[in-house]
Amino acid sequence: MADQRLRSPLGRAIGLGSAKEGVGHWWAQRVSAVALILLGLWFAASLVALAGADRAAVAAWLHHPLPAILAILMLVAVFYHAALGLQVVIEDYVHSEWLKLSSLVAMRLISIALAVAGIFAVLRLAFGG
Amino acid sequence: MAEFRLPANSRIRTGVTHEAPPGAREVRKFRIYRFDPASGENPRLDTFELDAADCGPMVLDALIRIKDSVDSSLTFRRSCREGICGSCAMNIDGVNRLACTTSLHDLGREIRIYPLPHMPVVKDLVADLTQFYAQYASVKPWLQAQSPAPPDSERLQSKEEQERIDRPAACILCACCSTACPSYWWNSDRYLGPAALLAAYRWIIDSRDEATGERLDALEDPFKLYRCHTIMNCTDVCPKDLNPAKAIAEIKKMLVQRQN
Repeated sequence: MADQRLRSPLGRAIGLGSAKEGVGHWWAQRVSAVALILLGLWFAASLVALAGADRAAVAAWLHHPLPAILAILMLVAVFYHAALGLQVVIEDYVHSEWLKLSSLVAMRLISIALAVAGIFAVLRLAFGG
Repeated sequence: MAEFRLPANSRIRTGVTHEAPPGAREVRKFRIYRFDPASGENPRLDTFELDAADCGPMVLDALIRIKDSVDSSLTFRRSCREGICGSCAMNIDGVNRLACTTSLHDLGREIRIYPLPHMPVVKDLVADLTQFYAQYASVKPWLQAQSPAPPDSERLQSKEEQERIDRPAACILCACCSTACPSYWWNSDRYLGPAALLAAYRWIIDSRDEATGERLDALEDPFKLYRCHTIMNCTDVCPKDLNPAKAIAEIKKMLVQRQN
């Protein structure tokens, strides 16, 4: 932002006006949080049930459609929710415009890459074994 | 980035100590933030020892006593001395509150007094609230209606409708809430803060107001509204026992409601 010292306080407070955005982000964060409660419980219970199992046993478990689908949903919810949360953290604390923008883009891309990698791993176990 | 350390010219040094008058019966120590922009010096923390037995019961009484009889250059705002003007908001023992309604009996032997946190300081305990007031003005805190007022009566409200705005309208704009909010500390250039949002809410839920949609439009912004992360320091410190955090949550709910 250019030097604003001579701008009126009200002009500064109004700034660039409303982005007419934010409600979608806020709602998605809450919905994904609720999804993660259910999926997280299922995932924790599954991990306990699979404790000590070898690779073949886990692959056999993921051969069933329901565990594979839930695992993929879990990965989507985890990385979606994480990306939404990290976006807020970056917006809160990073104030230089270019650093903020590049961090946001990098964070989004890394989240997507990690989610895709996780989904790929599940699919490989589910279909390949 | 957010700054976690004070800039070099804001770091506080040890100041002078004014000892209690001889024969004092109940000595209380006041450590008070002093800053004079004209001196070009860093802020300092002065110590004033005061005989509480010879002073009124509130923190404001002590400050006035110090100004009257120890150091007349001590600068602070005050007016009504009964918690309705909001002038004497300051950080007393780490909590934003009104000096006039904070009793010395509720505090320890040693009392630390600073200006409201994370605001530019005009002098001593006087924070610059220009931006805070501008943010309040930016939510258009007045009735906006297209229907003309009835020619022979006021714009009427039911008792329930009045009760909804009764508490939010009791805000005295002391700025205790906004300056207690970490989100406001980091992003006050873009986040409106709890006080302005409480005022916005007061007009959004006013049954006589017809600009509800425009008001919600103006707030629907990642920074103006959604920097609130429900930390709730605002509600915690409000000297009028208002609930800005709940007001903000209600605004967020209304924004969802009008979409679904």
